[in-house]
Amino acid sequence: MTLWFIRGIRRGVVTTRYPARPDASAIDLPTPPAFRPRELTRQVADGVVAVCPSSALRRDGDVLVYDVGACTACGRCAAVAPRAVTSSGEFELAATGRSVLIKRIPIGEEAP
Amino acid sequence: MTAVEPRAVPGEVATFQVASPDLEAVVRDLGGLRLADMFASDGGDTTVLRLVWANDAAGQAGYVVTQTPIENGEYPALSDIAPAAFVEECEIYEQFGIRPATGKPLNRMMLPPHADLPTLGRKPPREPDEIRAPHTVGGQAFEFPFGPVRQVGAESLYYGLVTSGEEVVDLYLFTWHKHRGLEWRLRGKTPREALFLAERTEGLSAVAVGWAFAAAAEAAAGTRPPEAAENTRAVALELERLYNHAAAMAALCQSTGLSVGQSAAEIALERLLRLNARAFGHRYLFGIVDVGGASRAPDADVIRRELPGTYGEFKRAADALLRTNSFVDRLEATGTVTTDQARALGLVGPVARAAGLTGDARQVPSVPGGPYAAGLSVPRGTAGDVLARFNVMLAEAGESVRLIAEFLAAGTAAAAAELPGTAGTGLGWAESPRGEALAWLALDDHGTITRARLRPASARNWRGFDDACRSQNVFTDIPIIEASFWLTAAGMAR
Repeated sequence: MTLWFIRGIRRGVVTTRYPARPDASAIDLPTPPAFRPRELTRQVADGVVAVCPSSALRRDGDVLVYDVGACTACGRCAAVAPRAVTSSGEFELAATGRSVLIKRIPIGEEAP
Repeated sequence: MTAVEPRAVPGEVATFQVASPDLEAVVRDLGGLRLADMFASDGGDTTVLRLVWANDAAGQAGYVVTQTPIENGEYPALSDIAPAAFVEECEIYEQFGIRPATGKPLNRMMLPPHADLPTLGRKPPREPDEIRAPHTVGGQAFEFPFGPVRQVGAESLYYGLVTSGEEVVDLYLFTWHKHRGLEWRLRGKTPREALFLAERTEGLSAVAVGWAFAAAAEAAAGTRPPEAAENTRAVALELERLYNHAAAMAALCQSTGLSVGQSAAEIALERLLRLNARAFGHRYLFGIVDVGGASRAPDADVIRRELPGTYGEFKRAADALLRTNSFVDRLEATGTVTTDQARALGLVGPVARAAGLTGDARQVPSVPGGPYAAGLSVPRGTAGDVLARFNVMLAEAGESVRLIAEFLAAGTAAAAAELPGTAGTGLGWAESPRGEALAWLALDDHGTITRARLRPASARNWRGFDDACRSQNVFTDIPIIEASFWLTAAGMAR
């Protein structure tokens, strides 16, 4: 066991001092989509809803409803509508209430 | 006997029709082969029962598929001859309502009770039993329920432990808590649409299950993927094996209370996952296999530059562990699976090879030639215990590093052949880190799926877990045995 203690001390700390210093590997992580409302049309919205495998997206009239809690960050919506959907780069998704995770994106409007 | 007697053809999938009255004799006759899978499909008034047999003999590796129409809802009790068939007999009863003729009790295997989920065929006339292993809980023995939510492992799994205090007298598993109905969901999709879900059957084997599924679709459509795409798949498959074996090593350290060893293994694991991300764009290698080929090519320079150092980290941790008596002593003679048990239950992967069997799906070329045609070392053990499994995994990791260099030199690419929209059936396979993954597909005239069968290695090897736990082990050995099997609950709850 002494050898393991020495081996552990010698290897040192390998974890990242997060959040003081963001982990460089974070850019490799798949992250949920970000939507550009201005690029969205009803047709584009229906297209992204159709490919979502976890039913995280649905259209409610002129609003695209996005449930972050159901999203698996698979990237299919961004693949079918690259102008309207990008990767958010956001992976800190904790919230204190379930309703906070439901986003309503107005179709065709300028982003606020 | 049937007009043409089923026999294995090396390197090929040989399909034979077997009449229902002949099935029992054929199963006895094919006893020298390994029963790799058994499933049913709906054929209108009749249900068709299919058995997949594997020939694991060196130089003879190939598959045999027998198909038998079942008309009166019953078929011979195959598990009485081939014990490996029991889990599938239960599954087929739940999904298609047909059962072995002897009236033997069938357990609940896939569908949770009271959920009223859709089935692939006719619903069974009555609910499956909740039969547990045949034991009498009396005297000093009692049942200790464990799970489905557990402090270790992210997946839901329920153990019923029968114990007299410390020794494991018996153990049974409930694996239906998170049934996802994947085979049901795949119907009506094109193989390319379905691949997304097929990959997620068992996330830790995304490449292997994805490859098996894509190969089944290619066989059904009569298409051959480009050679460079096959090499791409093989690079991803070996990277998948490397990170899984590192994860299994970390789990073994955790289960034996060796926290510095666990950290050392997890450092190697994290480096391997980051290498995956840099080489292929995904830490767990999703989205690489495409139907007809591969959708992403690896960054060969990154792999050549970083893999030797990353594998060095893995090797240093493994070598240090093998020199640690307190670690090795916990692994030796723990969770033993004998050669006979492994053969009778049709076990696969490191669990079977550590018990002396030779099966490795990479020995059957997915296409004539194929990436593994140049030669493959298949490490084996004899003891069948946790230490033998660990040693097999370590030897496999070294072989994976050698193979990756070979595949990169042969040339990789992101390329895919188009699948014609034609009807057909096909079997696909790949050797996942935990053993042979199989997929079988039936396509209609439009090229959409009418029946998809997914059989990851976990669906096979869980049936050997209770035998391993019963082999004179105590409670604290169970996490060690579970780490050495390195299976997923998702592979059963598919």
